[in-house]
This record gives sequence, C-alpha cells and structure tokens, in this order.
Amino acid sequence: MRAFNAELSKLLSLPGIWLALFIGAFAPAVFAALDSLTQKADIIAGTSTRLAEVGYIGLGFGVQGVIILGALAVSSEYLTESSESGGGQQMTTSLSVVSSRLYVLLAKAGAVTVISALLCMIAIIIMVPTTHLILDEYAPAFEWSRLFGALCYWIFTALLAVGFTVLTKNGVIPLAVLMINSSIVSFSVLLSKITTLAVYLPDRAGIDMFMSMSDRFHTPFIGGLVMFAWVFVLFIIAAIVFYRRDVAA
Amino acid sequence: MSVSSSKKITLILSAELGKLVTLPWIWFTLTGAFIINLVLAVAFTSIGQQGAAGTQRMVDTGLASMGYLQAGFIILGILTTCSEYTGGQIRTTLTVTPWRGFQLSAKHLALAIIAIPAAFIMVASGVLYAFVMTRDTKVIEMNTLIKTLVGATGYLTMTSLLSAAIGALIRRTTPVLVILLGYYFVVSPLARNYLPGIKHVFPDTAGYYMYRSLSSDEINVLTPMQGTGISMLWTLIFIIFSVVLYRKRDA
Repeated sequence: MRAFNAELSKLLSLPGIWLALFIGAFAPAVFAALDSLTQKADIIAGTSTRLAEVGYIGLGFGVQGVIILGALAVSSEYLTESSESGGGQQMTTSLSVVSSRLYVLLAKAGAVTVISALLCMIAIIIMVPTTHLILDEYAPAFEWSRLFGALCYWIFTALLAVGFTVLTKNGVIPLAVLMINSSIVSFSVLLSKITTLAVYLPDRAGIDMFMSMSDRFHTPFIGGLVMFAWVFVLFIIAAIVFYRRDVAA
Repeated sequence: MSVSSSKKITLILSAELGKLVTLPWIWFTLTGAFIINLVLAVAFTSIGQQGAAGTQRMVDTGLASMGYLQAGFIILGILTTCSEYTGGQIRTTLTVTPWRGFQLSAKHLALAIIAIPAAFIMVASGVLYAFVMTRDTKVIEMNTLIKTLVGATGYLTMTSLLSAAIGALIRRTTPVLVILLGYYFVVSPLARNYLPGIKHVFPDTAGYYMYRSLSSDEINVLTPMQGTGISMLWTLIFIIFSVVLYRKRDA
C-alpha cells in the first residue's frame, strides 16, 4: 500500500503529467463537440447515419491521454539525469526503497490504473454534457454498460503502454506506436484489410467494448476479454524481463 | 582564436554533423523507419493488388506508407534538437560555439543533410517494391515518378526540420513528441473532416500536395509548387522563431 502511495505521488509530480491529464480530460469533449457539430448538420439534412456513435468517438481518440500517462510513468524512471546532478536513474532509488521488483511493477500498474480510471470518468463527465448541449434532443442516451466499456478500454490501453515501456525503457517507441495506432490511420485497420485475424489485435478488440461500428466483430464482453488477455500476457513478459534485468542496464 | 567567417561556419556544421551521426538513437530511428516502411509497403501492395492497377496507382501504392513514415522523421527531428537538453550538453555546445544563431541554423542544415538521403532511400524503396510486385506493364513516365519522389523526399525533410524547430522551442522530448504526433495523426485527420474550409493551409496538408499524384478525377486544390511553398513557409517561420528565441533565452 505504501509502495502504491509512493507510485501515485511520483506519477502526479511528473513534469509532463499535466499534458497527459489535459489531453485525457478535454480531448474527448473536443472531438465529441466537433463530431456533434458535423452530425447536427447531417441530422438537419436528414442524412445522419451514425448518431449512436457520437461522443463515443471522442472517447476512442481521447485515449491518447492515458497512453502518455502509461508511457511517462515508466520512462521517467529510466530517464538518465544530467551529469551535473549525478547522472543517475530514478529506477535505482525506487528499487532500493521497495526491494521487491514485482511490488514496484504492480504498484506502478495500480497507480496508472487508478489515475486512468479517474481521468476517464472526468472525460465522460465533461463529454456527455458537451454532446447534449450541442445536439440537444438528438443526443444519444449514454448507457452505463458502454461507458463502462470505454472505461475498461482506457485502463487497458494505459496498462499496455506501461507494459510496453517496461520492455523498451524509453518512452519514444511506445508513444509513437500506440498514438499512431489509436488514431484514424491505425496499423490495425490496415492489417484488418489483409487478414481477418487482425480483429484480435488489442485495440480492434478493445474498441468493440463501446463502439458499435459496422465492421464490429466481437461482442463487448469478448472484446474486453481479448484485450485483457493481451494486457495480461504483455504484463507477464514485462514482469519476467523486469525481474531479470540489471537495474542499470 | 580568430577564424574566418566561412571557416567558422564549416567548423560549426561539421561539429553538428558529428554530433548527429554519433547519436545512437538517430540510427535506431532511421533503421526502424526503413524496416517499418518496407513492411507497410508490402501490406499496401497486397491490398493494392486486390484493386485495379494503373500507372498512377502503382506510385500511390508505393507512397501510401508516407502517412506512417512521417512519424519516423518527426522523431528524427525532435531527437536532433532535444538530445542537447537531456544532459548538460547544451552548455558545452554553447561554450565551444558561442554563436547561437549560426549554431542552431547549422543544426538544421546538418539534419537536412542526413534527412534528405534517408528520406529518398525510404520513399524510393517503397515505390520500387510496389513496382516489382505489381509488375506494372504500362510505361511509367520517368518524369512524373521523379517529381513524385522528389516531392515526397522534400515533404519528409520539411517535416523533420519543422519537428526540429519545435523541439528547439519546447526542449523536452516527450511533450514535443506528444504534441507533434497528436497533431499529425489525430488533430490533422480530424480537422480535415470537420474544417474542410481551412484544411489546405496546414503544413502537413499543404505538404501532401508535394507528392500526391495528379489524378484527373480529384480536384487538386493546390499545385505541387503551392504546396511546397506553404509547407516551406511554415518550416521557415518555426525555424526563425526558434532561432530568435534561442538567442534570447537562458540555455
């Protein structure tokens, strides 16, 4: 528990965290607002086709915030400080204080989970009124099950970022890969045009938890399960690597 | 020590090049971008083969991975400028070259020297793969092909320089990376849908016209030259802004 508190306070005092929190909290609302405006024009023209997705699409893209959060949480530990202040890494201190590596990893994952869950709730709280304000009576009813799906999607994505960054020790690659993958031009969509197996990729499966797109493949529950399986496997690999790796390496 | 002005610039440039080529991350990025680009070219070619093939289609297939490839060049640009700030390297740099304007301009020049051949090799390899795989029997106009390749190379170089300039402004790798990737991959594609009126003035959408093929069924709002101009204007504005700020600011 104390390790968890420590991780929480480390996470919230990171220099780049404001960016992650800001994007996570407001990006969904901004995307939802833009999408709502387009939808409104479509409704007036009578050509609206995907009203049920309004708002959720914002949550799909707003996941960038927690990707940053997850990647920062781990990469900051491995950041080599300048030679003027000793050239050390925070990880050395963290592992001296909490000697069990598994605890450090679990506490970190726990802290990221809690923050991303809170962030997702804040995002939803901001996003829902925005949609209602713009779309008025056309606004879709936000079902709890779908919002919960979005919450799970955010948490799993953040944990994927954590696991991935533990393996690479540097935030650049996980950030680039995951951010591009959660955008419109994602690798998974590309792959799904080549092989149908791509529906089992974590983000494709995960997005089925709350988006009911035309090319939907999984039920929300199965989608969540597939994504959780990815997170679980990645964490086992990350834990083994983390356990066996030299701290300073 | 008094050195002539031209000698000074050469020395600064060679120092910047030396720093750049000895940065291990630069080579990781370039190799990674090259490999991923080839993988994507394979993927896009196999998708493209399902559709109808044509002269322009072949080039388009080879260039379809550009959207992803630019991420590699964004990282390249950011690493160039932000690597100075991860340790105290910037203070050493400024001690030995106390001409900030020259130093930062030379850094951009050095980046361009590395980025241009790298971009050309990557773009050409993607198109070459698409060419070999589709075995396009139609005669391709060498002129168009070369223009497209040069345009794509120019676009990637420009993206890289723009990222370097923004990196010099913000100075921290992760926030810059987040802002640029967020812009290029999330904000910009969405802005294209939601704000069609002003979409042609942004650096990436204008730069898009530098390499896209002129097909008759699409309305090309900008000519390649206009696209290059707008894109270059953005890059220059950011470079000038970062140089000005760099000269004023405490290191």
